[in-house]
Amino acid sequence: MNTDTPRPALLLLDDEEMVLTSLRNLFRLQTEYEVIVHSSAQQALENARARPVDLVISDYLMPEMDGITFLGHFKEIQPQTIRVLLTGYADKENAIRAINQVGLYQYIEKPWDNAALLIVVKNGLEKRQLLRTLEEKISELAKVNTNLKGLQTALIKAFL
Amino acid sequence: MPDDRENQPSGRDPHAPETGGGKETTFAGDPRDLHRRLDEVEGLLRESRARLVQAGKMAELGNLVAGIAHEMNTPLASISSNTDTIALAVQKMRGLIASEYADEASHARRRFEDALSIAEESLRTSRLACDRILRLVNGLRGFARHDELLRQKANLHEGIESTLRLIAHELKGRIQVVREYGDLPEIECFPDQLNQVFMNILVNAAQAIEGPGEIRIRTWRDRDTVRISISDNGGGIPADLVPKVFDSGFTTKKAGEGTGLGLSISSKIVQAHGGRIELESGAGRGATFTIVLPVRTTEERKTNEH
Repeated sequence: MNTDTPRPALLLLDDEEMVLTSLRNLFRLQTEYEVIVHSSAQQALENARARPVDLVISDYLMPEMDGITFLGHFKEIQPQTIRVLLTGYADKENAIRAINQVGLYQYIEKPWDNAALLIVVKNGLEKRQLLRTLEEKISELAKVNTNLKGLQTALIKAFL
Repeated sequence: MPDDRENQPSGRDPHAPETGGGKETTFAGDPRDLHRRLDEVEGLLRESRARLVQAGKMAELGNLVAGIAHEMNTPLASISSNTDTIALAVQKMRGLIASEYADEASHARRRFEDALSIAEESLRTSRLACDRILRLVNGLRGFARHDELLRQKANLHEGIESTLRLIAHELKGRIQVVREYGDLPEIECFPDQLNQVFMNILVNAAQAIEGPGEIRIRTWRDRDTVRISISDNGGGIPADLVPKVFDSGFTTKKAGEGTGLGLSISSKIVQAHGGRIELESGAGRGATFTIVLPVRTTEERKTNEH
């Protein structure tokens, strides 16, 4: 199903347009990802209900809510999405706190290194893909198992 | 001070002999002595008040500097990322042009490539400029914060060596670095901040030397302290300026070359570690900065003594 749409989708949230532009252009140049950007946490959450993404990168310090709160809400809407926090130097402790609190995959410090950031995103997407494949296999297994059980019942009935 | 002393004989002395006798001994002898001690105490108070005002100013300055560094971080992050992205885009264009104009000598291809070369050279310069600001901001932002997470036991020689690697381009084979490392214990400290101190002093030393010269780094343990002395054989600092070098805003460099904050920040960092920086210099005599740090922090001493 989803494996037929190989183009991964990212959501970027930062209240600074310049950061969004820098990141979006980096992804446009170097990757095939579909990139959705938001400068308002509220809006990003509203859109999240309609549009599932594979990975979300959020800034930490924003006027409406901080990045950890945002990722917490986002997790409720899209629990499978890989979550990455973009933090300034002073927010490092908060980022470490968020690892457990909102199941953070990674945090990236500003100023980031393009190459390092691309690797984090690539690995995050790979994890997402593996988890999805695992889910599919599990549901296939469950289906086969149900079929087998049906067959078994039929067999038992036939022989008794 | 002199006018205080003038009051002393006329104000007190005439009465002193009259009160006389045994009772006087409770005042620890001569009232002149008492007055002198009062003066001393007053002097000490004045001094410590000045120190407090200075400390308050430094704390304010620290907050200001850290605030500016913080505000600069996001736009700087954007510029830094853009610089690398544009360089990659230019690289891609080179490939596209090569495949579009197979003939290497074609006029169109040459003109495109000339323009790309200009872009590439400008981008390299932007990268270097960006790295320089990044280093500066990186140094400034840790200045006001004493992040307990960053406190750790560290080998100071490692810090000095990594700092020397960072400023290798300033030394450029022009300056020889002589190491006389003694046996130093690891000390509990904020290694990043101490590296910043080494950096400031070493860069100053390199800049003080015109043409070829030598920087000598000595380390040794002296009872409960470790000492790191950094000497250069540059022009030295005139005696009358020596007391001012740790003041914020003091600089001998041309406008745009120095902020006048390096040594004042360094001195503050070392003080926060319970130590001090000593300076020995004179015009034409080079300069020796000695960083004195306690081996054990106050907290460690407390826990060991009880």
